[in-house]
Amino acid sequence: MRRRRLLGLLAAAPAIARPAWAQGDDWNKVVDAAKKEGKLSIYTASIGSPFHKKVFDAFTAKYGIKIDLLEARASEVRERVRVEQAAGRFLGDLHHNGSTTTWLMTRDGNFQPHGAIPNIANVDPIYQPDDLKIPAEVISYSLLINKNMVKPADEPKSWKDILDPKWAGKILSDDYRALGGGAVFFPVMLRTFGRGFHDKLAQQKPVFSRDLQNNERRCARGEFPIYLPFNLQDLNTLKGLPVKAVVPAEGRPYVRFDISMLKNAPHPNAARLFMNHYLEPESQIIFGNAGYGPVIRGVVEKTIPEIRELLATKAMGTTDPPKQDEMLALAKEIYK
Amino acid sequence: MTVAVSLEHREAALTHGLSRYGRPAAIGLLVLALGFLTVYPLAMLLYGSIHSTPPGMAGEFNSAGYRALLAPDNLQALANTALISLVKTGLSLALAILMAWIVARTDTPGRGVLEILITLPFFIPPILTATAWAMLGNKQVGTINLAWRWITGSDGGLIDVYSYGGIVWHMMQYATPFIFLFVVDAFRAMDPSLEEASRMSGASRWQTFWRVTFALMLPVTTSAFILSFIRGMESFESAVFFGTPVNIKVLTTQIFDMITQRAQPDYQAATAMGFASLVLMGLLLVLQGRLLRGRSFTTVTGKAYAPNVTRLGPWRWLTFAICFAFFLLTVVLPVGQLLLSSFFQFFGFYQIDMLTLEHYRSVWANDEFWHAFGNTMLLGVCGATATMILGGIIGYISTRTTWPGRKLIDVLAWLPWMMPGMVLGIGFLWGFATLPHWMPIYGTLWALLLAYMALGTPVAVRVTSGAYAQIARDIEECSRVHGANWGQTMLRILVALAWPAFAVGWVLIFFGIMRELSASILLYVPDTQVMSVVMLKMWNSGKPEDVSVVGLIMLALVLLFRWVQLRFIKRRISTL
Repeated sequence: MRRRRLLGLLAAAPAIARPAWAQGDDWNKVVDAAKKEGKLSIYTASIGSPFHKKVFDAFTAKYGIKIDLLEARASEVRERVRVEQAAGRFLGDLHHNGSTTTWLMTRDGNFQPHGAIPNIANVDPIYQPDDLKIPAEVISYSLLINKNMVKPADEPKSWKDILDPKWAGKILSDDYRALGGGAVFFPVMLRTFGRGFHDKLAQQKPVFSRDLQNNERRCARGEFPIYLPFNLQDLNTLKGLPVKAVVPAEGRPYVRFDISMLKNAPHPNAARLFMNHYLEPESQIIFGNAGYGPVIRGVVEKTIPEIRELLATKAMGTTDPPKQDEMLALAKEIYK
Repeated sequence: MTVAVSLEHREAALTHGLSRYGRPAAIGLLVLALGFLTVYPLAMLLYGSIHSTPPGMAGEFNSAGYRALLAPDNLQALANTALISLVKTGLSLALAILMAWIVARTDTPGRGVLEILITLPFFIPPILTATAWAMLGNKQVGTINLAWRWITGSDGGLIDVYSYGGIVWHMMQYATPFIFLFVVDAFRAMDPSLEEASRMSGASRWQTFWRVTFALMLPVTTSAFILSFIRGMESFESAVFFGTPVNIKVLTTQIFDMITQRAQPDYQAATAMGFASLVLMGLLLVLQGRLLRGRSFTTVTGKAYAPNVTRLGPWRWLTFAICFAFFLLTVVLPVGQLLLSSFFQFFGFYQIDMLTLEHYRSVWANDEFWHAFGNTMLLGVCGATATMILGGIIGYISTRTTWPGRKLIDVLAWLPWMMPGMVLGIGFLWGFATLPHWMPIYGTLWALLLAYMALGTPVAVRVTSGAYAQIARDIEECSRVHGANWGQTMLRILVALAWPAFAVGWVLIFFGIMRELSASILLYVPDTQVMSVVMLKMWNSGKPEDVSVVGLIMLALVLLFRWVQLRFIKRRISTL
């Protein structure tokens, strides 16, 4: 196994050492080798997303490479990869997950260097890739309001507006004490406004629920006038309902999804080709129009108008994976 | 003559050989099979509970997982869980016994149809009924509360499903039909002469019910109570849906938090909590054993009898109303919401311009769903059949033989039921993934089939044991005296008499497989996707309406299965 890993690293080393623009011929060889491999196995924590499926199908149509997709929750994907690798079963090629899980798995040594990927050159500087991961797409968070219950004049303009006593008991929220959107919202607000923000928000008695899709519907049905943090990419599934996404003036918290090549991937060339495909403008515009933040330059400007105005807002901040458990503990202390 | 004697000798020698070597071999095989299905994944979990890291990672042995159980949060969750499960099991048992008696032993009108209707809620995916009840019974805009305010003019609501009561009510919708399915055939299979004797001796109708009917049902009712209580302890959907928003924590939501809601999952504490639950459940089983020890529960004897019915006179309309009210509350209200919603663009938004058949088209055109449906049917039919055969054999050995090792087998068969599903799922993942690579289990349908068999065996054993306990030994002995061998006796006497219970067990296991998610999500690969995984994907992608359509397909299947099953039972009973 060590020998395989060493050989893998040696094979990848020249590609890493040389700049992307000088690798035209080498890349064609990767494409040919990928087509010969003919198959790709992706482990993803993005469950049931039709937009991801579109991008995957486009890859299969373009290169004739079949994708086997294993979808599960973030921790389940991580544990499957861990136990498979520990048992010497190297079944997956790529891993697609949120930045915290990716960070943990990098620490645990579950990935191998991906080598040169030409489209990395297009990545937006705030989403810098490294040898083990490339950015995939970004989930942005806003407020969701029920238009029948919140008059335009009452719409929160700042995140601090939700601290107004008139919203006490009327806020439905993803849980800040568990991994997910709430765990992104919590540290970003903490960094921006300080602990006082959370102390006051706790007094508003937000109702926590981790059933995200149902939460959005509960807001739409009028159980709660405000839901937060709302995943912008869910806006598509709510078209026709009396709800509206509102990004306050300070901007939107976000979390990045990454793609990494799993250790001893059985189809390394197909994996690299897919990473490159993911960073193509044609792929990123699919994510952009769906409400995900694209990770390459020049795509937000081309998204559909109603999404563009939301994505063009300021990226406010994201999680700090090494401090994630510390933040969850603090959230448990404040929101009892 | 010589030939006949020689044959007799050979047969006797063969029988002697079988009893000498066959029994230990059979016991050994069963212990091996159960060891692999239950002890092996549990051993992996035990390791996880006493090791600082999961299998395959460097770490150290310590008791941190068990010490974590003593945290106030966890103790509170444990107390909540026991209380909620006890209340819901007690209420469900009382209701189920009442309805089983009504359906099996009274002249209540339409009881054949009622029997099917009462059991329907058990087969509806809990996430769907939870969604429906969240719309019906939420404090702010729930349909029931809106109607209440409109009728009474009050500002307050009548019910709030986000409460202890809401959790218990939602769990009861599954527990009541589950227990009903367990006990109804036992009521039907009872020789009425015992009750007649009681009445002839001057006992009142109530005394007869309590001292004869109910007392004879003890093996079945206590089994059903314990199975249902344990399921209650392990229930997740009701608590996460109606408890989490109001900070009610239970065992499973704590485990879920430890495994999936932290940056660094705490498998050690989660598995330790699983074992704590296993020990508590084990104590319950010991109690049940003590309660039943040394008593006879035989109701099916060699004497001919016809199941009689109690004539209720005008009271039969009250009993009808009780069953129908249960059906109305647990099926018509939530399923009505599902059915209605399946024809609208959005769940709960009933506007003419939102009418659509799109969700049906979407499910129909979903290749992934139909592939998963095929896998699930294959696994359901094979899994339920294999599990009932295994459970039937184990039930026979533990209740009708004095073989050494039978108690060990019985305990082994119980183990998976006592470990919360989401923890056991991890045990299967750890167990199957670390098998030698030449064993083609991990990443194949076999992994799912074996996990489903392990999960279903306790139900199969309880169902068959309860039924065997009601059959008199003299019928079996009579068969053997008349020359039938063990296999023939098993098939023609025990299985034939207990077969309604076999049918119920099969259906319970089949639909258990259809709904199982905890192990499936950790063991499936793209080629072996099952319905529960695809439904999770639909739900996560914001398509609860498509999940409703799938739920309705499942309901249609249930109706078909139950209809076929009851037709066979009727024919069977008429030939008894």
